[in-house]
Order: sequence, then structure tokens, then C-alpha cells
Amino acid sequence: MTATGPTTVLLLRLAGPLQAWGDRSAFNRRETRPEPTKSGIVGLLAAAAGRPRHAAIDDLAGLGLGIRVDQAGSLLRDYHTVSDYRGRPLLAAAVNAKGTQRLTGPAKYTHITQRFYLQDAVFLAAIEGPAHFITTLENAVRHPAFPLALGRRSCVPAQPLVLGQRTGPLEEVLRAEPWHVTDAVRKRWGRRNGNAAHVDLPLTLDDPAGDDTREDLPLSFAPTSRAYTSRRVRHTYAAAPTGLTPHPDQPPSTGGHDPFALLGW
Amino acid sequence: MPYLSRIRINPLRTASRTLLASPRALHAQVQGGVPTLPNESRTLWRLDADNPHRPELFVLTAGKPDWTHLVEQAGWPGADGEHYAVRDYAPLLGQLAQGREFAFRLTANPVQNTNRPDKPTERQQERLDGGTRRSFRLGHRTAASQLGWFLTRTARWGFDVPAASHLDGTRDDQDEPPRDVRISTRRRHSFGKPTRASKEDRVIMHMVTFEGKLRVTDPSLLTQRLLAGIGPSKAYGCGLLTLAPVPAKA
Repeated sequence: MTATGPTTVLLLRLAGPLQAWGDRSAFNRRETRPEPTKSGIVGLLAAAAGRPRHAAIDDLAGLGLGIRVDQAGSLLRDYHTVSDYRGRPLLAAAVNAKGTQRLTGPAKYTHITQRFYLQDAVFLAAIEGPAHFITTLENAVRHPAFPLALGRRSCVPAQPLVLGQRTGPLEEVLRAEPWHVTDAVRKRWGRRNGNAAHVDLPLTLDDPAGDDTREDLPLSFAPTSRAYTSRRVRHTYAAAPTGLTPHPDQPPSTGGHDPFALLGW
Repeated sequence: MPYLSRIRINPLRTASRTLLASPRALHAQVQGGVPTLPNESRTLWRLDADNPHRPELFVLTAGKPDWTHLVEQAGWPGADGEHYAVRDYAPLLGQLAQGREFAFRLTANPVQNTNRPDKPTERQQERLDGGTRRSFRLGHRTAASQLGWFLTRTARWGFDVPAASHLDGTRDDQDEPPRDVRISTRRRHSFGKPTRASKEDRVIMHMVTFEGKLRVTDPSLLTQRLLAGIGPSKAYGCGLLTLAPVPAKA
């Protein structure tokens, strides 16, 4: 965001069996956004750089972020019940004078919790910043100090995670990048869409003049004083190259019936 | 001189939501584009929602229409490209010749008339008891009877539907090869008339879209059907038969 010196873009491919990008979940219901959050990406970079939870992260949060949805994935609801195997009431959040947790007031024996995950999703995250800082971050992600996760500790990233550095504006980089999906998905999409050479993918870009806000810009990850603020984003679409060649005999038609085709024009 | 028009509709605008939801409202807008008096000539129209995000309205009018009001209310007035296209329909009518094959699409309201309904409603029973001879118009409600309605009438409309060549070897229960026609959408519409609230005064219609291939058997009969429409509910977007080139096999 700070426009001093040349900037480069680090491209990350966020893919894995499960991802979870919560931004305002609390208590027993843990939701996920359909796209990666900035706090999730900043947390991943901070973990790679080996920063402890209370370290300052304003340099990471100040980087520009763009997300491209290559494969939207589907939502998985994970239903849990939690209880004490000895049959005792569960502990309450409140503590007594000695600092130990009390038992729940009207005794409660089972917690019902729900966690939501995105399954089979692929996102492209572009992180823009000063060249030397981006190089440091890329090295950190290639040799992470702490294990990396896609939003929640149990969501392990698939390889390759780092696609390398690109030069140029964030939006141009995301438009030029080929479509990162598996061959089976590409072939199935091609069958349904006449093997079109381009596919429209949604983009979410950091933009101070954007018309939408996200409540996921982290100020601090310190366990005792977590804080977030909002950021402005802009949505658009990018026509990404699919790598397919349209069939010459079968143009990507208007869906079958065109009564104007016989009217001489 | 007939004209075929195609108007693109922006489904996100407030006015379009009303129009897409109500055949009555869309009928009024279609009639508003025709400068001649509405009762002097029949206007046929059809809403094609192949892509529900980009629905298209096809209208066949006797004279040249103007669709500026629809573009302003329900289109993309400032956008690039052609907001609506109006073309002379005569070149198509000139191409009709016996034996020629076309791809077709028709949205129709299949009905039958009977004065002996199996299970008469209260109101029908009243009329039967009153000794009225006039029969009742009942909608075909299953896909099989709707397709049957279509196939038994094609000869009267000047065409027939050839057997589906891509389904060689399959036979139906009468050992006949299946015809090259399918039902792409079926929908029951029910809407009230603005001045009357009573339940009996609701319009109830079954709108069915047939698609497939036809072979011309009688050009003059087909011309008549193309211009005058097929079946009832023509004001509510039924009856417009459109022809297109037969798609080449991949």
C-alpha cells in the first residue's frame, strides 16, 4: 500500500481438502467466509516468518491483497458434541476467586458445536508490497517457522503453495495467471462451455475507494487483546486463460435456438 | 409486413422483476411498443430464459415496433451493444418449402375441451346442473399429455416432427421411434386480474416450451401458424413458434 520504491507481487495458491476462513464467528458456531480473509493470510505469513502471537503485524497488514476464486468449492458442516467422559457437568467460562473454572450453573452435560469448512476450493492470493520485503516473505513461506494452515489449524495447505513473484499491478497479475484447477475439473468445465478459451473468475481487491467493506483487517493477534478493523474492497471479474482450445466446428453458441439466424444478417 | 424483435432484459432492475414475474405486466409493455391499435393485429411474444441472468424477449409484430421504453425501464440504457434488434420476418417466410427442416422452439399452453370432466369442480358442477351445453377448457397437466397434445396437432399446423436420428434403436411402448422433440421447461402460472379478487377470476395456465426439429409439409398452413400463433393464452407469452437453422452435429 505504501507507494515507496518498486513493488512486486507474491502469488500463493491456497488449495487443500479443507479450508476455513472465519471473520466473525464466536462460541460454538464457527463459520467460514466463501473467500480467504485478510486476517487469515496475514496470520499465515506471520506464522511463516516465525512471529509470536503478540508481535506487531502492521507491516504485514499493510500489504495489498487480491483474491481470485479459481474453484469455489462447497460448504461442509461439521457437527460435534462435546461432553465429559466421567459424566460430570461441563465447565463454565466464569472463574472463582482462586482462578479456576466453575461448573456450569444449571448443569450442562453436552456442548453442541458446529464448524464450517470449504471443501475442494482453490484460491489465488496475490500479496503486493516492496520488493525486498516480498522476497523475505517468499523465503519465509518456503521455509516456514511454524506450521502453516488455511485459516484453521487442521486445514493443511496442498502443494505447491508458493507460485513465485510477479511484477506489475495486482489486478494485472491476477488476470494473467492461468486457471489453477485439476485436469478433471477443466475438462468437465470445457464440455459444458464449448471449450471456451477464457473463464470469468471473481476477484476481490483491496481498494480504499471500493464499495464493499470487510471486517477482517487484523490489528493484533495477541491472545489477550485481539483486535480487528475494517478494510474497503472492490469486486470485479477477470477473464483467465483456461488452457483449452475451442472446437472449430462448434462455436460457443448462444445456447441453441437463435431465430435471427434465418433472417438474413 | 411482419417483424421479429429481440429485446435484452436486465433481470436486476425493479421494473424487470415485475415484468418477469407477471405475464400480464409484460403483455402491457409489449403492446406499448406497437403503434397500431392493439385489436387490429395480433402481437405474439415469448420470453426465453436460456440464461436466467440474461433473459431475452422475442416479439412478432405486424408493423415495425419501438422498444425504447422497455430498454429504459428494463434493459441497460447506457450499455454497449444492441439493446434490441428488429428484423423483417419475410425472408424466413420465403424460405418455407415442402420438405425443408428447421429447428423450432414453441412456448404454448396445451388445453383440451370437454363437457364431461372426470371430477367436476363445484363451479363446473353448477354449470352442468344448470344444463349449459358449453364445454370446459382444461389444461393438460402431465408432460406426457402435453407432448401428446403437440404431436397430434402438428399436421394441422403444416409440419411434422421427424424421428430423432440420434436415438436410433430405441422404441417407445407402441414400437414407434421417438420423435425429435423435447419439453425444455414446464411451468404453472396463476395470477389474479387487477380489478377482481375472487379466486374464480384467477388466470391459471400451464406454460410448456417445446424444442426440436420440424419438417415442413404445408408451407401455407405453417406461414399462417407462424404469424397467427398456436394455441390459447397468446397474450400471456404463448403461441410464438420460431424457427432456426438445424444445428450441425458435432
